[in-house]
Amino acid sequence: MTDQEIIDLINTALANEFELNIDDMLPGAILKDDLGLDSLDRVDMVIVLERAFNFKIREEEAIREIYTLRDIHNFVINKKRELK
Amino acid sequence: MTLEGDRILNKRNKVNAVIYFVVVCVMNIVAYPAIIAWTLAGIIFFPFGFVLWKILTGWEGDRIMRHFVWLYGRGWLCIMLPFVRFRREGFANNRIDLPCIAVINHLSFFDTYCMALLPVSNMAFTIRSWPFKMPWYAPFMRLANYLDLETIGWEGTLEAGSKILSKSALLLFFPEGHRSRDGQIQRFYSGPFKLAIETGIPIVPLCIVGTDRLLPPDRWWFMPSRVYLRALAPVSPKEFAGETAHVDLRRHVKKLMIENLEEMRKLQK
Repeated sequence: MTDQEIIDLINTALANEFELNIDDMLPGAILKDDLGLDSLDRVDMVIVLERAFNFKIREEEAIREIYTLRDIHNFVINKKRELK
Repeated sequence: MTLEGDRILNKRNKVNAVIYFVVVCVMNIVAYPAIIAWTLAGIIFFPFGFVLWKILTGWEGDRIMRHFVWLYGRGWLCIMLPFVRFRREGFANNRIDLPCIAVINHLSFFDTYCMALLPVSNMAFTIRSWPFKMPWYAPFMRLANYLDLETIGWEGTLEAGSKILSKSALLLFFPEGHRSRDGQIQRFYSGPFKLAIETGIPIVPLCIVGTDRLLPPDRWWFMPSRVYLRALAPVSPKEFAGETAHVDLRRHVKKLMIENLEEMRKLQK
């Protein structure tokens, strides 16, 4: 899976789960302010990513440091590389 | 139209505007003190009522509390009745089959009070943290076992919600999470739909219009309104399967609600 394919899958999975407009999903988008994803969505976001990429991340500390869509992209890309 | 006709129409509009202004003033002068008095009376007399109800019915504490909240809401409806026309439909034989998960659109702080229009008192609310910060309501909300979503999270809500539903109650969600500022339905959280998929308990979509005219966000004075509550047919989660079952259920319910809200707004006009 290329980095771009990972990014596309993340965007599609989040857009489906959270009723987001795919056009608003710019890498620099701040999850809370730009995409309206609040603390209640955090748990769901982790579940969506786990399901989309078939890994477990809910115990990872780095998840708490995610603020933008780019942070998610980088987190998942790095995680996929780790698992290779 | 003639000049004379215009003059008569303008005069009539001005008279109507003055009458409306007076009604709004009277509504606010009467309704606010009446709600405060009713709330104080509830706080003072509730402990006696609770003990009496417990002796007479043997119900569990949370169910008694929910019943009293419902009665409090009925009182609020009576206070508002001179100024607000309430209408409800979709409750066959004046009942709702329990247990069920109800989801409703959110327009006003007083949407919760309008839940006294439902023909069931054993109803638990799932809400955000801020209503638990109102000291005059918080102890009663905790006694009624209302769920504080932001404190317990979705996983806690799924667990606590399942317990409430196992006792044949109605569990009410505002899936938008916030009041709508423009009257349009907003993004839905997945929580109630996941709970329905996990428990197999049907979703009852509720649609409300008119409370945004009564008291929208960012306004503190009441205005006369026509509040219209409609219950849609229960949606069984068993018709939805697979990994995205909750998303499909959520989309289906939201579509039904959008269609009905549009129709209700047209009827209201």
